[in-house]
Amino acid sequence: MSEIGDWSEAAQELNAIVMSFDEGEVSVDDLFAKLERATAIIEALEARLESTKAKVEELAPRIARVADDE
Amino acid sequence: MSSEPILEVGEYYNLLTTQLESAFGRRHPRWVRGEVAKVYEKTHLYVDVVDAGSSSSDSKRPVLNAHCWASQWNPLKKKLASDGVTLQPGMIVNFFGYVDVYAPQGRIGFTVTEIDVAGLLGDVARRRQELIARLASEGLLEANKRVPLSPVPLRVGLVASPQTEGYSDFTGQLLNSGFGFDIVLVKTAVQGEAAPEQIVRALATLDAHGVDIICVVRGGGSKGDLICFDDERVARAIATCSTPVFTGIGHTGDESVADLVAHSRAITPTKLGEEIVTIVANWYDAHVRAPAKKIENWTNAVLDEATEYVGERRRTMIFAVRDRLRAEQRQLANTHQHLLVQSRHLLATATQMLAGNRQLLSAYDPKRRLAQGWSIVTRSDGTVVHSVAGVKVGERVRVTLSDGTFESTVDEMNGVA
Repeated sequence: MSEIGDWSEAAQELNAIVMSFDEGEVSVDDLFAKLERATAIIEALEARLESTKAKVEELAPRIARVADDE
Repeated sequence: MSSEPILEVGEYYNLLTTQLESAFGRRHPRWVRGEVAKVYEKTHLYVDVVDAGSSSSDSKRPVLNAHCWASQWNPLKKKLASDGVTLQPGMIVNFFGYVDVYAPQGRIGFTVTEIDVAGLLGDVARRRQELIARLASEGLLEANKRVPLSPVPLRVGLVASPQTEGYSDFTGQLLNSGFGFDIVLVKTAVQGEAAPEQIVRALATLDAHGVDIICVVRGGGSKGDLICFDDERVARAIATCSTPVFTGIGHTGDESVADLVAHSRAITPTKLGEEIVTIVANWYDAHVRAPAKKIENWTNAVLDEATEYVGERRRTMIFAVRDRLRAEQRQLANTHQHLLVQSRHLLATATQMLAGNRQLLSAYDPKRRLAQGWSIVTRSDGTVVHSVAGVKVGERVRVTLSDGTFESTVDEMNGVA
């Protein structure tokens, strides 16, 4: 399975898979492979999102101290 | 000891009173000009009058203990009130009256019979206006206002007396603001004769030091106490300063010439501190706090959007795959159903065809013929006799009927050619 690109590339690939389902282009033979790929992309995006959220959580109180300073 | 008789205290006061009254008594009233240092009214008016512009810190400055008896004071008070004037400390006034020796307290007082407020006020105001006009004609009223002000004036030069309330009021605002103000103080007198020169030197020192702003601070006081801020030297030093000069001098309502030539003025030292803190706070809000708030909001928005996107894609994939599988299942079920119908139809057709054939065959069944009365004649070897030519007279044949057989012998032949 090929590597998953950055957020934008991954989202583009995921959208293409979803669109192929919407347009009924997926055969039963391809279905599992496409589902497996879509699942891998979604999990990768979620992992990146969680990682980013964790980093933001670390920084958020510091920037909030400045933003909410009265 | 001289030959003059020795006087008792009372005799001395009588003599003194006679002498003073002969020159300054009721029959010889005089005008006296001075600044009201203290004023107290209880039925009668009591006023301490000093030389205009003298400093309260000067322990040797002369004080005239004046009073105005109610019979005189009430009409005078009414007249002043009608002119909108209230007698108060700092006011420079012409008093008309006569000497009044009060022996029991060993005090020489001054009984006021008339007050001329307008005269001296007008004189001081005229001289002040002349100075302002000179400064205006030289463009000095606006000169310091044109000096660019740092957007973040954190390095503050301060011209003040550290022991005064004005100093603590002003610095308190800056130091309690939470911002990192760096205050460079040059101590000066803020009243008295030495004050103008010291203030001028302090301004020059701070101008050369390289601060963002210079603040001249002095709390409230009498007009005499604040007169150094109407000094022409101070006004020119402020006007020509290359650093913006802010003033916070006196009480609300006091406006000195220093205030007029300054870059900006506040009505009190406290207000001046507040205004400088506000300048810094506004900059901080615009350049630090607001961007931080935007970054915080944007970050949350991007994360929310990304979370929503991934969740939505996940749901979409689940539904898409489920729909796809259901579609395939439906297709298979339809095909199966179709095949079932087709099979049944074929079976029915075949059954119908077989029934037809069976019916057709039954029409040719020999038994059916035998039952109708027909018979079958066979030879001894079992072959069927189809023609009379196929047998001979005397030949034994078998005749089969619907319910059995019998043996027979050919006796006679007819119809043979």
